[in-house]
Amino acid sequence: MFIGVTGYNHESSAALVDNNGVLVNFYIEESLSRIKGDKSFPWRSIKKLLESSNIEIKDIERVAFYERPLSAFLHIVKEASFHMPRSLGLLTHQFRNFNRSSVSCYLDFAKFFRGLETKLIYSDHHLSHTLTALAYSNSKKDICSVVVDGFGDRSTASISQIVDPTEINELWECPYPVSLGLFYSTITDYLGFAINEGEYKVMGLASFGDSKSKSAKLISGLMGWDSNSNKIISDMSYFDYHLSTSNSFNSKLEELLGPARNPFVPLIPGDSDFQRCADIARGAQDLTIYLLRKIFTHAYKITRSRRFLFSGGVSMNSASIDSLAQLPFIDEIIIPPSPGDPGCAIGAAFYSYIKSNSYSDLNISKPSLFPSLKEIRNDEFLAEEIISNEFTVLEKDKEDAFLKAAELISVGEVIGTVLSNNETGPRALGNRSLICDGKNKDAVKYLNTVIKNRSPFRPTAPAMRYEIAEKYYKLRPEIYECYKSMSATCKCLKDNVSLEFPTTHVDGTARIQIVENKSSLDKLLSILETMGIEIIANSSLNVSGDPTCFDLVDGLMVCSRTKLRYLLTDLGLLKRKT
Amino acid sequence: MKKIQSELPIFFETAHAELASALEMLAACKGTYSPKQAFGYFMHAKDEYNHARSFFKMLSKRGKKASIKKARDFRFTPPSLITKGYISNKGFLIDTMKFKDFIAFVYTNELLAKSSFENILILVGHGTEEGKTITKIMADELRHHGMAKKFFLNHYPALQPWQLMIYRLRETIHNKGRKLYDANIKILDRLLTPIYKSMAYLAGTMARKLNLNEFKRKGKNLMNISSNSIL
Ligand SMILES: [Fe+2]
Ligand SMILES: [Fe+2]
Ligand SMILES: [Fe+2]
Repeated sequence: MFIGVTGYNHESSAALVDNNGVLVNFYIEESLSRIKGDKSFPWRSIKKLLESSNIEIKDIERVAFYERPLSAFLHIVKEASFHMPRSLGLLTHQFRNFNRSSVSCYLDFAKFFRGLETKLIYSDHHLSHTLTALAYSNSKKDICSVVVDGFGDRSTASISQIVDPTEINELWECPYPVSLGLFYSTITDYLGFAINEGEYKVMGLASFGDSKSKSAKLISGLMGWDSNSNKIISDMSYFDYHLSTSNSFNSKLEELLGPARNPFVPLIPGDSDFQRCADIARGAQDLTIYLLRKIFTHAYKITRSRRFLFSGGVSMNSASIDSLAQLPFIDEIIIPPSPGDPGCAIGAAFYSYIKSNSYSDLNISKPSLFPSLKEIRNDEFLAEEIISNEFTVLEKDKEDAFLKAAELISVGEVIGTVLSNNETGPRALGNRSLICDGKNKDAVKYLNTVIKNRSPFRPTAPAMRYEIAEKYYKLRPEIYECYKSMSATCKCLKDNVSLEFPTTHVDGTARIQIVENKSSLDKLLSILETMGIEIIANSSLNVSGDPTCFDLVDGLMVCSRTKLRYLLTDLGLLKRKT
Repeated sequence: MKKIQSELPIFFETAHAELASALEMLAACKGTYSPKQAFGYFMHAKDEYNHARSFFKMLSKRGKKASIKKARDFRFTPPSLITKGYISNKGFLIDTMKFKDFIAFVYTNELLAKSSFENILILVGHGTEEGKTITKIMADELRHHGMAKKFFLNHYPALQPWQLMIYRLRETIHNKGRKLYDANIKILDRLLTPIYKSMAYLAGTMARKLNLNEFKRKGKNLMNISSNSIL
């Protein structure tokens, strides 16, 4: 058995791959600690991996850490050293926290899981991303991998050619500190949203902006592509992310774009500063799409590959994928369901599997979208008293529970789901979701504002079957797989009724989900379709600011803390008492 | 403006503490072996989540009026629950403490929480909306305290109330100690910062000369690079 682990700089996680190259289990630490964005050493995840598969440390052949810790450390220090004394704060922080950085992962393994530290190996950060993405591709040979993120252990974007899983040649890189990911995070920060969390808000906000506006044009001057050297260029004088621990931008950016936004003031369409912010977001989004198209074009030029893997934090920018799919040389783009750093645990686990020489007959199975094993103890035993005190069981039988849930959806109710295994990635695909009739404006509004308290400029995703999606949206076969994990938005067809759906964004796009066969939503849709409902609005089950629910207790807690009344679970359909 | 800026840390820290309590109780709910206790911890966690929400609301009300620079310093990010020490990186209390100590801890801490809210109540004023919210929260804490005390005595009937007082005293001293330690660290920090900075300056001067070309991977097979190297 093989384990992959991430942590320290981004959300931590752990994955388990068995001797046959099958991803057995995967946990993100925040799901278990309930601390959103938890970066600490993922001891809970590793413990759970061992417990739920009933294995011991001796059964683990190798453990791979997802990046090279010292490389990450030194690159940051070296860059900062050129900017002293301004960067002294960052340098001091780096040196003082050396023992708390990923450099200490060996010691943490020794502390929490004695014996595991001796089995520790290291993969390159972007290689871990690449292997994660490769696992989700049907063919494992002759494909090009594009990785674009904030910063890993060396570079911030890279292109490599995969001959087969044992030969992955890196052909191009964008060295730190020039970084498309960190640029986008900086704009996120400037607009008053939290870094690593608010990026999708910027993406939603961009739809309200005007590409021709002054602010959007100013943004486009911050980065560019040099076609002589085939490099991303960046005017670093506006950014501080490489020399400060607390500021990602400096006063020069504020002189250019106006004052940064107070994070406590809600941003509401129609407010005085709204349009300026939306235009800035538009500019950032346009620049991102422009640079991604350049990177992919260059990737095609140097590899001649027409099939691409795309991963790294920037690949979560679902609004740019549709534009990439239109590049003339693209046959296919695969984005893994967890393309950010936590997903790297999966790639790292496969890395140790491939590196283990005894398996000459390599076989990397394509993982399911729902790999985490279900929490059984909590669900069936511990929740008993909570349910009997606070909830009524409307239907116990599974079939009846689904039928009743569908009936409730058809009359405009919102339902929470805690069914079977967890999703891999940041997007709830039906097993840990909040769902309602996707064409019912009131229900969708209730889901968005009353239960979720979402920003008004972020639409909810519609989930449906492929045949239904074809009627309403301009689908692109090149990114068909992306639709299954909600990784790409698409445009509504011209003059189509879908433009009026409550799940459609102001710019006439939607982040659709094509439901996987035999999944929970597939089952629900087969009942709903007989009631004339073909689209489900789907959002993650959580209170805003919290991680998505992990187990039944979390689901019951969301019900208790919000106005959500119904919960569809493996124990039946529950209704909150008061 | 000045008043607001001085109040920000109070609400910021209290919101952290309440959210940390919620997570501790949720972990206790999932970690216990009795469905009955799980229910008790579940309801307690729910209260603490609500308290946290109230304090975040009070924080954001003040943050809106503060200067942007100040406001940015008081943005909440959940991982700071760990880095600020509200939740231990070794795990939740239920994972790291003996059960008896855990319930005694809950019992004493609830009372301490209540008394710390008295100061905030003076700050916001009794009659205000916020004052009413805080009074309600204090009533919750007192109720939690009562339940925890009952629970503790049910489990350990041989223990006398005076023994619980010792627990309480111990926790108070702990808390005071924690604050003193915190203050000492801060003083030490101020003393040492120039030294740290000059060391960082020296190290930085050397780091400039680092040759990181070795890390270049262009044209290399990434799968062939030594898997034992942290470089
Ligand atoms: Fe990354
Ligand atoms: Fe509380
Ligand atoms: Fe309490």
